[in-house]
Amino acid sequence: MIAEAETTVARPPEVLARVQPLASPARPTLVLNKRDFHWITDKVCGIVEQPAPLWWWICAAVAAMVASFVPIGLFYLVSTGIGVWGLRPPEFWGWDIVNFVFWVGIAHAGTMISSVLCLLRQKWRTAISRTAEATTIFGIMCAGIFPAFHVGRVWFAWWLFPVPNSQSTWPNFHSPLEWDVFAVNTYLTVSLLFWYMGMVPDLATLRDRAKVTWRKYFYGILALGWRNSTRHWRNYEMAYLVIAGMATSLVVSVSAIVSADFASSLQPGWHTAIFPPYFVAGAVFCGFAMVLALLIPLRSLFKLEDVITQYHIDCVCKATLAIGSMVAYVYTMEFFIAWYGGNLFEVFTFINRAFGQYAWAYWIMLSCNVLSPQLFWFKKVRRNLPLVFLVALLINLGMWCERFVIIVTSLGNDFLPSSWGYFTPSVVDIFTFFGTLGMFGLLFLLFIRFLPMLPISEMKHVLPEADPHFGERGHITTGADGVPKGGGL
Amino acid sequence: MKLKFHHPEPSARELTGPRYWRSLDNLAATPAFKEWVVREFPAGASELEGVNRRHFLKIMAASFGLAGVGLSGCRQQTLHLLPYSKQPERMIPGVPIFYASSQPGPEENLPLIVETHDARPTKVEGNPSHAATGGATDIFAQASVLDLYDPDRAQRSSGADGQPMSPDNVTDKLSQLVAAFSPMRGSGLYFLSNRSTSPARARVVDKIRQKYPLAVWAEYEAIDQSNPERTASAWFETPARPVYDFAKAKRVLSLDSDFLQTEPGHLANARGFAKARSVEAEADMESMNRLYIVESHYSLTGANADHRLRCATAQVPAVAALLAAELFTQAPLSSRQDEVLAVLKKLGAGATVDPKWVSACVKDLLAHKGAAAVIAGSQLPVELHQLVTLMNVALGAVGQTVTYRALPDRPPAASIADIAVAIDAKKVQTLVILNGNPAYNAPGDLNFAAKLKTVPVIRYGYYGRQADETSALAGTFIAGLHYLESWGDGLTWDGRHVPVQPMIEPLFEGLGELDVLGMLAGDPNADAFKYVQDTFAAMHPGKSFDEWLAVGVAGDEAPAVSRDDVGIRADALAAWTYRAPEVSEKSLEVRFIPGAGWDGRYTNNGWLQECPDPMTKLTWDNAILVSPKLGKQLGVAPEPVLMNKLGQTAMDANTFVKSVEQAQIGEITVKGRTIRGPVSILPGLANWTLVVALGYGRKLAGGVGQDVGFSASPLVSAAGAMACSVTGAVLKILPDVYQLANTQEHWSMEGRELVREANITEFHDKPDFARELGLEAHAPPIYGPAKVLSPQEKAVEIPRGQMLYQTQPNNEPQPNYPAWNTPEGRADYPTPQQWGMSIDLNTCLGCNACVVACQAENNIPIVGKDQVRRGREMQWIRLDRYFASGPGPDGNEQTMEIPEDPQVAFQSIACMQCELAPCEVVCPFAATVHDDQGLNTMAYNRCVGTKYCANNCPYKVRRFNFFDWNKREIGHFNEGPLGPDYYATEASQLTRMQKNPDVTIRMRGVMEKCTYCVQRIEEAKINQRVKAQGTGNIKVPDGTIKTACQQVCPTQAIQFGDVSDAKSAVSIAKASPRNYAVLGYLNTRPRTTYLAKIRNPNPEMPDYHNQPLTRLEEGARYKMGVAEGAAAAT
Repeated sequence: MIAEAETTVARPPEVLARVQPLASPARPTLVLNKRDFHWITDKVCGIVEQPAPLWWWICAAVAAMVASFVPIGLFYLVSTGIGVWGLRPPEFWGWDIVNFVFWVGIAHAGTMISSVLCLLRQKWRTAISRTAEATTIFGIMCAGIFPAFHVGRVWFAWWLFPVPNSQSTWPNFHSPLEWDVFAVNTYLTVSLLFWYMGMVPDLATLRDRAKVTWRKYFYGILALGWRNSTRHWRNYEMAYLVIAGMATSLVVSVSAIVSADFASSLQPGWHTAIFPPYFVAGAVFCGFAMVLALLIPLRSLFKLEDVITQYHIDCVCKATLAIGSMVAYVYTMEFFIAWYGGNLFEVFTFINRAFGQYAWAYWIMLSCNVLSPQLFWFKKVRRNLPLVFLVALLINLGMWCERFVIIVTSLGNDFLPSSWGYFTPSVVDIFTFFGTLGMFGLLFLLFIRFLPMLPISEMKHVLPEADPHFGERGHITTGADGVPKGGGL
Repeated sequence: MKLKFHHPEPSARELTGPRYWRSLDNLAATPAFKEWVVREFPAGASELEGVNRRHFLKIMAASFGLAGVGLSGCRQQTLHLLPYSKQPERMIPGVPIFYASSQPGPEENLPLIVETHDARPTKVEGNPSHAATGGATDIFAQASVLDLYDPDRAQRSSGADGQPMSPDNVTDKLSQLVAAFSPMRGSGLYFLSNRSTSPARARVVDKIRQKYPLAVWAEYEAIDQSNPERTASAWFETPARPVYDFAKAKRVLSLDSDFLQTEPGHLANARGFAKARSVEAEADMESMNRLYIVESHYSLTGANADHRLRCATAQVPAVAALLAAELFTQAPLSSRQDEVLAVLKKLGAGATVDPKWVSACVKDLLAHKGAAAVIAGSQLPVELHQLVTLMNVALGAVGQTVTYRALPDRPPAASIADIAVAIDAKKVQTLVILNGNPAYNAPGDLNFAAKLKTVPVIRYGYYGRQADETSALAGTFIAGLHYLESWGDGLTWDGRHVPVQPMIEPLFEGLGELDVLGMLAGDPNADAFKYVQDTFAAMHPGKSFDEWLAVGVAGDEAPAVSRDDVGIRADALAAWTYRAPEVSEKSLEVRFIPGAGWDGRYTNNGWLQECPDPMTKLTWDNAILVSPKLGKQLGVAPEPVLMNKLGQTAMDANTFVKSVEQAQIGEITVKGRTIRGPVSILPGLANWTLVVALGYGRKLAGGVGQDVGFSASPLVSAAGAMACSVTGAVLKILPDVYQLANTQEHWSMEGRELVREANITEFHDKPDFARELGLEAHAPPIYGPAKVLSPQEKAVEIPRGQMLYQTQPNNEPQPNYPAWNTPEGRADYPTPQQWGMSIDLNTCLGCNACVVACQAENNIPIVGKDQVRRGREMQWIRLDRYFASGPGPDGNEQTMEIPEDPQVAFQSIACMQCELAPCEVVCPFAATVHDDQGLNTMAYNRCVGTKYCANNCPYKVRRFNFFDWNKREIGHFNEGPLGPDYYATEASQLTRMQKNPDVTIRMRGVMEKCTYCVQRIEEAKINQRVKAQGTGNIKVPDGTIKTACQQVCPTQAIQFGDVSDAKSAVSIAKASPRNYAVLGYLNTRPRTTYLAKIRNPNPEMPDYHNQPLTRLEEGARYKMGVAEGAAAAT
């Protein structure tokens, strides 16, 4: 060891001098056209501060109208009985749980982008993280409606929580539905915290720019007394990192636990070990697609091409393609295991999915989820934004169908052929689902109207100006006297 | 101040109506009571003058005390209790009282034990004192208790213009009638009555006949089953009927006779048949019976047959002649052999049947001389029954498997056709119609309803003017009584005397049948009770009337009749000029069968309407059933769906869109008369026979039965030998499509080992064949180390349930019983009994009795046709019906064809009470949990309705209350609170009286399922504890508890009891090598297990398969034993 160390020490320094490190490829610029700090602040705050454009009012009105289906549908449901939905034996779950899993999936991209990419130091995430997190929050809100209201006696649903009640009985912690309660609520709490905390510096910016009293108070309260002090920043960064770490584990846990609703049952087509990773992949997949579908129109409506660049879109498309391929792998593997397992009920279920009464759903799922993302291999496609938008929508459709395929086809034709049946949604089912789409849209529109849609402070971090080496300022070097020179601000 | 009582304010109609059962309202409605309540303070309390403090407090205390009686302001509704001022004898609140009675029928009275709660009959059971039926009943008896509380039944009598008539008015009217016709000796007076077995009624009718010698007494049943009786009476020259003892019959040939389900005496038949069919061990191979059947419809008897020959009913006599000819060829007659054979050959000319089938069948019958029986459908012509008698004589069956039992000698009655002729001849001055509903179900060619309009009709009946076609045409309608509220008597199928006792005061202003007949006989003080008493005294001199009422059966079986020359009466045969009509695709046959409402009399019964037909699985409708071949020709056969095209699943037999059967409307035309109805394919029908159920299409039936299905009566012909079928029909398919409520879409088991079956030879070679089928045969031992334990030890030792909160291990006391936690106490701690069930698929006939019995016992609501179409029917027992077609001609699985001649297997499925119940683990609310007796219990109060349990139940036995079935009215479920509140209606006051008070009424949003009749278990346990009195002998003896389904089962296919006791009946059944668990590989460890079905085909028959068709199908699918199967099929 000592000899080795000596040789190392003895290595002539000129060798190092001769080393010519490869020039690393230039990182793509994340903000184009040399926009500066001030431009970003003006741009993002301007969206909130200027009067809402006409299209916003139109969209909000339509969304509000559609969203009204939700309370109407639920009122009818609760007052009359869940027979108003299309549920029937053997499909005791139908669109309700399909929608639940769909919305939980939508809710995945936000946390994935914000936390996982944050930990991986993917700087391109900054421009899209805020909107992605918003989809998480609103997705979870839509998702929660379905499991809460699909029960027969919703007024007793609070028994799911371990609180004292007249029957002195705790919930059954063995039930995956009970796990759902905790998983989804934890996810909502952490996501909300993450989203809100990330927004605090930006809310303070809005507060400081406010010229109207209500704005001062509104953003003032929301900004929690943020003063941009170094101590604030230090605590903020630490907290952000900690929550990102927590949220990362939740990305995996919530969909994995939702998948346990199915995987822990006996139903052929549900009872499989691949479900947890499968559901996580599927959720991230449709979450990314949803982010694409929201960003592309927003980008052009608010002229945000300089901050949400083609590079961002490329990144999301590639991520979608990667996750989509995992989903495709799972589809294949499910079939393989059904055959390899030799269980005739499993074999039947999978053949039935592809060629039975519900084949339409299966083939929509397959073409949307497996075939359409393959277009993202091509740069040309990724640059054709209308096409990307279309593919993103197709993926969302496909992922909805995937949940339908998993839930309904497995229930429809299970063990006893005498009890087979075909599920048909009722009008109330359909309207309630579209209502949640409207609700999601409305919440999102309110979000872009009243909250900073892009993370102002974080985006400034990725500007070249934020780099300590920016401009004339070089590396911090130590002079002969040992005092640092250069660099600094 | 608003006063609220738990009864709604009585309507004007109620105040003038009957009062006994709503006396509380009537009390509340009296002015004095109202005034007393409305006054804020009782009399005296408001006059506070010159009182001191003490007096004031006294008055205030009294006021507050009384305030609770009628004043609102409390959070909870005020309810009123009226204690008995004099406790009725033996009536203990909460403890049911049982009475013996019987259900009258046209050919037999069914002996019953009726359960009453607080003097309300709630459930009927068979009377075990009657050995032949052994305590079994059928669906009609089970459902009859609902008819008692039918809100649509007649509530009062009415006159010509619909004016209500009091009972006194009725008496007056009848005395006027008597006065008018007595001088004329009854000339012009016509009676049209239902058939009845009642000796008391016969005595009163005799009086009527004596009083009016010129009057005409006719009897009519839309489904006439008296031909065997007519034949036997003529043959023996004394009234008699053939009564079969199938327990002794090793070989049975049925000629279009559904003797296990729709023929009179079917319960005794089924019991005997099951006894001869059951196989306990492989040694029973020789004793197992074999059933051959020739039939057009696929009846339940056909479903249980080993060899089934499809043949149009019209050609059955011809086939019978061929069979008889073969019989007399193989076993020559002592005399006139050639003559008889010639006659028979001539009669059999029109039939096309495989001669090998005939000869092998006859050979087998002859090989069991003395233990063989031939039975013919009661709808078939008298001459055929003579032929059957002849065959039975030749087979040595008479006195062995068939006994001709004497019937009471009653004067012959005229027929409905005679009445029709008399009306045309203007001879009828007054027509008295007793029961029946001829305006609806008389044969179409009589045009009887139109004729009724031309004569004065006095109608006595159980259904009223608004609910019955005949009553609506009658000038005078006399409201009748249900059998559960009237006195009467009757004879069982084997001739024992049984009482009909009232269980309850008449609910409405009806009159008993015997009372009315007595008045017509000129006795103004007619008393049904007296008639019954007198009849009993005359029939059983010296016997105790009270004992008869208590036991429910008196006397012995009717004596057997015989005659020495019972042999050959070829002359009678020769006189039979029968020619089998041509039945082909151009000239179809229409075969009429009894429907869910029999001939229409039970049409308004929701339990029967919603009970799926065992073969078609249709509810709330009848259909024109056609064979697959005819269906294909007519173009109503379904298109294969995607899966079928790939050859993976068997093709559905009918077109289903979104799980709803889409039936084309067909139009049957016979001799110019037409009916229309939905066409549905039923595999296994004779190719050119259309099967139509009677008793549907009522125009005045009440809220349930109105316009359900279509009436086939217009096609029925009064003329001709066979009223059960007509030939020369043409079926035209119309473009309209009708949606049927079919509860089972898929007919094939898809090669899954759900019903396991084998031929008797395989069972003999490999008794435990059932355990080598199914996925679990390939799986590792599911009990792990516990596999070495006995079933009794397994039931106790292995932890059960999958709840977080495990139940205490079975041999340990609950921690909250301190007395048992001492060492001595633990020694006394008895392990709870472990309940389990065994269902013998070999003797399960598929009769549906368990389904309706369960509905009656457990307050299961009906949901109506619309909801059944959505698959939301609520019956806790589901009778799965699977057809098996066997492999195709090439030995491969045949999937693209609907089977024309399939085998069928039934499987009655209710909650299996799994020890490792998949439903329990997934319920987040802990609403379904395991108890220490091994029951998978449902805590309805705790259920919030996630429905996850139902999803995870592999047997799909859980039922969900999608709506408030009990609170909302059928057809208004979707209206929610805006719809009518059924509880607030008068009808609900009636129907709720049927409910079993021991079982919860479930609200919407709650899951429900079979509980092994836990209320009966608990009742028996309480009784046993009372009996034990500290001796510690608290184990309920085996056989004490009978679940509702077990009790009703005519074949005793269901065993229930303690599986931890090796000597219990259920443990003995489960020890059979045939025992298996459905989907056992899932390791749910169901407490309900099944005994595999054994078929007993004859290897010499042309349609012999060396394995049941389900097994051959499975072999073809999984390429196991293909060669064997293919060889057998060819």
